[in-house]
Amino acid sequence: MDAASRPAVVIDNGTGYTKMGFAGNVEPCFIIPTVVAVNESFLNQSRSTSKGNWIAQHSAGVMADLDFFIGEEALSRSRSSSTYNLSYPIHHGQVENWDAMERFWQQCIFNYMRCDPEDHYFLLTESPLTAPENREYTGEIMFETFNVPGLYIAVQPVLALAAGYTTSKCEMTGVVVDVGDGGTHVVPVVDGYVIGSGIKSVPIGGKDVTHFIQQLLKERGEHIPPEDSFEVARKAKEMYCYTCSDIVKEYNKHDKEPAKYIKQWTGIKPKTGAPYSCDIGYERFLGPEVFFHPEIYSSEYTTPLPVVIDKCIQSSPIDTRRALYKNIVLSGGSTMFKDFHRRLQRDIKKIVDARILASDARLGGEAKSQPVEVNVVSHPIQRFAVWFGGSVLASTSEFYAACHTKAEYEEHGASICRTNPVFKGMY
Amino acid sequence: MILLQSPSRFILQILQNRVRNLDKGIDLDCHSVEFDDVRYHIQVSMKSPQSIVLSMALPAPPPEAIFYAGLPFGAIEAIKAAFGAIVQILDPPKDGYNLTMKINLGKLPSDEEQKQALLIKIASVREVVLGAPLRVVLKHLSSKTVASDADGPIALVHRPKESFFLVPQAEKVTVVFPMRFQDSVDIVLATSFLREFVEARRAPGLNNAPPCVWSPSPPPELKGVPPHALTANAGFVKFVIFPRHVEGRKLDRTVWSLSTFHAYVSYHVKCSEAFMHTRMRRRVESLIQALDRAKPESEKSKLLQGKSFKRLSVKDKLSNSNS
Repeated sequence: MDAASRPAVVIDNGTGYTKMGFAGNVEPCFIIPTVVAVNESFLNQSRSTSKGNWIAQHSAGVMADLDFFIGEEALSRSRSSSTYNLSYPIHHGQVENWDAMERFWQQCIFNYMRCDPEDHYFLLTESPLTAPENREYTGEIMFETFNVPGLYIAVQPVLALAAGYTTSKCEMTGVVVDVGDGGTHVVPVVDGYVIGSGIKSVPIGGKDVTHFIQQLLKERGEHIPPEDSFEVARKAKEMYCYTCSDIVKEYNKHDKEPAKYIKQWTGIKPKTGAPYSCDIGYERFLGPEVFFHPEIYSSEYTTPLPVVIDKCIQSSPIDTRRALYKNIVLSGGSTMFKDFHRRLQRDIKKIVDARILASDARLGGEAKSQPVEVNVVSHPIQRFAVWFGGSVLASTSEFYAACHTKAEYEEHGASICRTNPVFKGMY
Repeated sequence: MILLQSPSRFILQILQNRVRNLDKGIDLDCHSVEFDDVRYHIQVSMKSPQSIVLSMALPAPPPEAIFYAGLPFGAIEAIKAAFGAIVQILDPPKDGYNLTMKINLGKLPSDEEQKQALLIKIASVREVVLGAPLRVVLKHLSSKTVASDADGPIALVHRPKESFFLVPQAEKVTVVFPMRFQDSVDIVLATSFLREFVEARRAPGLNNAPPCVWSPSPPPELKGVPPHALTANAGFVKFVIFPRHVEGRKLDRTVWSLSTFHAYVSYHVKCSEAFMHTRMRRRVESLIQALDRAKPESEKSKLLQGKSFKRLSVKDKLSNSNS
């Protein structure tokens, strides 16, 4: 049985969470925080001790190598003891700490997926802004350390588009709005190619929504123990938040029928064990509002998300713009707010219609422009759309032919990862 | 730390999830592959949320290892003994799988601790099924009887088309692993690891551990084994198991450790490679730093100027405006 007959392993390393599983499944097997807890107390011991201590130092180094945890385990370990330092290997979608990343992959493969990396093809993901050097590094680790038989490094937004491939039609043109924990990217993709110059970033992500809710709760004077407040805000965000169509109307609704709209949160204080409760009211719709009116949260960044998306499409080639407006795809956990896509669609439509009206007025009725169709697509697997797209892609039979293979790596070196093997033989 | 755990995280997670939302029906159909080609397929249907259908495929056995009805010797009995009434074996198994069983979650014990223990046991189904023949032999050892019909080494499958061998005697059981690796680097690392492994056994704290020998050629115990099963590129490892290693609760751990020994070594080799890379990266970084320090002053300032559009700090601005 060779590796191509087994399902490929799909790992999507995100800034906040890593999604991993086997190709062909609908859901990833594991979703764990991308974090490594390392024990660095061994390394900091003074080196000046006598030379006879070499053995002791060596074994201490080995122990430090082995003593680490990833995911939820890492978080709980670092909370309970101070010997472990948390290290987040990925910042803003880019791998920063390769040592930690290698350890993270090692645990993912052996301890979580429990598979032999020599038996499976691998599909990894990267952000569209990743430098080729980083891709080479990834390839080096995968081929040298884990001896994978084949590797494909896919671009996240393209996979998010591929996730919609099955639910609607075979459309590989669209704008991917990826709202992750760390930040937001708006990426135009045409026929499966990312238009690099059109990528726009918004420095507001899921974490900022949580911070904003936390701040609101604090300012209103809800009695939440400070060490718990971030967690409470996160839970409130995930469970109760929704997108409203009009803030003023929503305020009135809340004021008229508080019993219907204000939710109660009950928890137990971690130190004393006493129960407490707090109200969650306006936060429910004000949290997601950060994307549409960033000025309520930060004074530095004030461009609303719909405007960014519109700008992104306007900066793409002119013959693709209609198709891009037609297929705006959401991905990432922070797009899961109720009615988020409706609000986005309405706001973008407004901008587009205003522009058409202006151009019609300028032309004075000589030529009538066709209306532009704006469509924001939403599907239930949005949260791990990138992973699902990878799973769909890797379960096709063409996938195995499109991979970089171990033999090619040994022949040419890590530089093969600079090019996408899909274009093999085209130049 | 670096040991493989017996229960599969994947199955355990699904089981626990199902037990928590028992009344909520969902459709679930997922598959997973473990090391050494053990495949799982889990199905839950909307109609009967209380039951889970778990199918398992085992590595293809080599000719010298014997399977009874697609399963290792004694597996059916082992499943019945381990899980009891909660599991029902479906015959014939699903197409392409060796074993299909229906788990009835409604019959779980109500006591929380017992329930958890049983779920973990179900997640360790690999140990139960693949370790069954090993367990039978080791049980004979702990009761100090020899299975009557055993003559010559018994072959047990542990990897696709590969097997390891047991030589049962009244006082001891000898276990021999032919070690095979694909990659040339892996072979070298594994060989040196196994040598050190044998060396480590001599440490004073490990007097009670099973004696362990590594040799590049097949040990004499393996007489009468077909030669194609005796080609190993990383030598042979021999353990001698005494009754004291299998008494009471130690039996489970011994069975698991022995049946996954190859995976353990291969995991270890991969980890060593990762750690070597970490060291290499650190070394390269320190060398680059040394090179940077050795650069003459003039070159350094040129470099800084080259990046000036980024490095323009407040101080520079001030001095510019002053001049």
